[in-house]
Amino acid sequence: MSNRNKILFMIPYLLWIILFVILPILLILWYSLTNQSQQFTLANFELFFHNGTFLKMMLNSFWYAFLITFVTLLVSYPAAYFLTKMKNQQIWLLLIILPTWINLLLKAYAFIGILSNSGLANQFLQLFGIGPVNILFTDFSFIFVATYIEIPFMILPIYNAIKEINPVIIQASEDLGASKWQTFKYVLWPLSWSGVESGIQAIFIPSLSLFMLTRLIGGNRVITLGTAIEEYFLTTMNWNMGATIGVVLIILMVAVMLLTGSKIKRKKVDL
Amino acid sequence: MGVNNMKIIELKHVKKVYDDGFVALNDINLEIESGKFYSLLGPSGSGKSTILRIIAGFSRPTEGEVYFDGKDITDLDPAKRQINTVFQNYALFPHLNVFENVAFGLKIKKMPLNEIKPLVKEALHTVRLDGYANREISELSGGQQQRVAIARAIVNKPKVLLLDESLSALDKRLRKEMQFELRAIQEKLGITFIFVTHDQEEALSMSDEIFVLNDGKIEQNGTPVDIYDEPINNFVARFIGDSNILPGRMIKDFEVEFANKRFQCADAGMKPNERVEIVIRPEDLDITEPEKGKLVVIAKTQLFLGDHFEIKALDSDENEWLIHSTNGCELNEPIGLFFDPEDIHVMRKHESQEDFDARLESYEGERDE
Amino acid sequence: MKNRKIFARLYLYFILIILYVPIFYLIYFSFSSGKNMNKFQHFTLAHYQTLLQDNRLIAIFLNTVILALLSSLIATIIGTMGAIAISRVRSKKHKQTLLALNNVLMVSPDVIIGASFLVFFTALGIGLNFGSVLLSHIAFSVPIVVLMVLPRLNEMDYSLIDAARDLGANNYQVFSNVMIPAILPGIASGLFMALTYSLDDFAVTFFVTGNGFSTLSVEIYSRARQGIDLEINALSTVIFVFVLVLVLIYYFISTKRGKKARGIMRELIK
Repeated sequence: MSNRNKILFMIPYLLWIILFVILPILLILWYSLTNQSQQFTLANFELFFHNGTFLKMMLNSFWYAFLITFVTLLVSYPAAYFLTKMKNQQIWLLLIILPTWINLLLKAYAFIGILSNSGLANQFLQLFGIGPVNILFTDFSFIFVATYIEIPFMILPIYNAIKEINPVIIQASEDLGASKWQTFKYVLWPLSWSGVESGIQAIFIPSLSLFMLTRLIGGNRVITLGTAIEEYFLTTMNWNMGATIGVVLIILMVAVMLLTGSKIKRKKVDL
Repeated sequence: MGVNNMKIIELKHVKKVYDDGFVALNDINLEIESGKFYSLLGPSGSGKSTILRIIAGFSRPTEGEVYFDGKDITDLDPAKRQINTVFQNYALFPHLNVFENVAFGLKIKKMPLNEIKPLVKEALHTVRLDGYANREISELSGGQQQRVAIARAIVNKPKVLLLDESLSALDKRLRKEMQFELRAIQEKLGITFIFVTHDQEEALSMSDEIFVLNDGKIEQNGTPVDIYDEPINNFVARFIGDSNILPGRMIKDFEVEFANKRFQCADAGMKPNERVEIVIRPEDLDITEPEKGKLVVIAKTQLFLGDHFEIKALDSDENEWLIHSTNGCELNEPIGLFFDPEDIHVMRKHESQEDFDARLESYEGERDE
Repeated sequence: MKNRKIFARLYLYFILIILYVPIFYLIYFSFSSGKNMNKFQHFTLAHYQTLLQDNRLIAIFLNTVILALLSSLIATIIGTMGAIAISRVRSKKHKQTLLALNNVLMVSPDVIIGASFLVFFTALGIGLNFGSVLLSHIAFSVPIVVLMVLPRLNEMDYSLIDAARDLGANNYQVFSNVMIPAILPGIASGLFMALTYSLDDFAVTFFVTGNGFSTLSVEIYSRARQGIDLEINALSTVIFVFVLVLVLIYYFISTKRGKKARGIMRELIK
């Protein structure tokens, strides 16, 4: 390919990077460092770090994101593992992917009905003589529905990772005397970690922006940074504060990614 | 059976039928003694790997029992057997380095690190990988991975080591080298090796005893020399080495007829005029002038293979003869073939190993007198 | 052994039930004559009639489809060109920088993308309407196309290009007859991913849309906030059947084409 053509191919892509990647970040940064009359100030950050509500919200966001990711992993890992043992895996996979193609909002909407005071969940509980329990508009319902939505996105990468493990390696572990649990701990888990990692990445970050879930089933409260950003940008129209929260979120995310991305160096042994 | 060699593994009437009805093993009976090098030799699908998997515990027999040191281990988990395996493609743990791979079995037993280290060092020394402890598996060549796999198994001091086609992934030269080394390691450790292979040369060069398998049955077992010199049937004769196999007729003890001629031979104990098969190894045939030969054939093709010529020739009955000779010959000219009575191996059709052994014993004793 | 197999099966059934209960719950009540999703009254198709006569919703549905097709097509073109350009960058450092920038939008939370695009459009004086939504959808779909096409380019056998040149092909012929066919599976899965990204998106659209334009997600959100409306249930049924048909078509094509298509499927799953 000639140099002229190379540049021709690069132009639209570079334009995209500049306009939609670099410029928006700079603009968000700019807004976070100015006040509403466009003067430079650090007041937004001061407010964020001196105001307990923001810090609490930040902790909350990460706590919820962690909970959602953790519960999803707990439910999905065995499912992914069992899937690799099934006949007709293609059909099973298809059945698991299918719900992800139904609009997220529709599924959230379904839970408004299911979790309501006389909905399916409470009708089920009443069979055991419990309830009716107020499930909708609680933190529990938010985490439950978020987990529900994320399950397929955790199952698939883990399934792929386990599928790539040579089954003989599992036999080798048993042959060397490892129990089922030891084989899981020392062989299966580390070898499927790449899948778990991409599952975590596919869930942790998006779960910070599930503001529609907090609005629809989390009880319309501002409990996470995602909801706070939405609130500042679209309701109270204080873009500077919204941008500040955004910048904090970006920095935290980069930190988390650098942390999980860095490989632990192996200790050398002297024999 | 010598008194020093203890029976360590025994398979009794083992049968393995897969879900789809395929009979992988049909009534296998075998005994393995401690401290010897065994080979399970057979073509793919003969059931040799299935036997190994049953001994290792990865597969349960459909019928029959497996004994280890006199105890029934048929349903014991692989993890609880004092048996380790060197897998076909090594099955090393890709996420662990050499040290961690070799130390795996010891770590599982919760052995403290300061005890693990000298054992790993020793095992790596045995497989001649001193100084490789901190290498990653991906950095190693096929031959080195093979050694790590052996070290990983022997560090646990198993009583029996199973090797599943362990050399098949190596190139020819490396394979030869590893054959010598495996044998040396086995002699050094003094434990039982059971080696699965489809390569008859490998089995012949390394083993104390060979089991030849076909279609889920043991066709013959014995020392490499026994099996090479006295193949029990057509299959074994063809599978082990090159051979000339011809139909023949036993005239009486020590006299056989084939290619329309009668010859003295070393076999006996069959019915007069019994239809038999004759095996003569190509390297047992010597080329002479036509008038001096016991048989006259006409050479059709000739290949020079470095240390010998491979000649294909036809006799007057159009039987094809394969000859390995250090001397070449003229093509399309008559040549004489000379062989000793001992070079003729007579095989009865459908003779079981027990009958075969009994017959051999009966007349070999007689002849020695 | 047997028990473990049964447990595995039961566990997977349990997961499937969890995944499908909400969907079938919606469908079930779409046939109920009641006003809520608690008790099935009696069978009716009334909600489907309302749906068919709801011109606003039908218009929004068509908008959503057009938006998805248009944005994914443009994103695929830009992304493919970008991937080709990236694959030709010689300096490793530049390549990594480009890839890092490419992935910024992949790892950013939707709210941040939405908020920053809102700021961007306002700063440039672009009105919030179909145009801003289209630009946003193109923008967040480009990186996935790049990620789908790039591995194909890296795997491509460059001796093919030499061979084509040797046989007298010019630049354009090499590009259209050799390169594009070689990376076509990557382009196809990129297009497909872009399409699903666009159809699935709620958060970004919610930020950058104005009064005049809405997508299905945004519309469902605003209706759901007002409470239960069984017309949405009817809409769910329609969408579910629609998706099901698409999936079945895809499945039959992929089993016919066997291994190759399964490769694409695996890429999609990743």
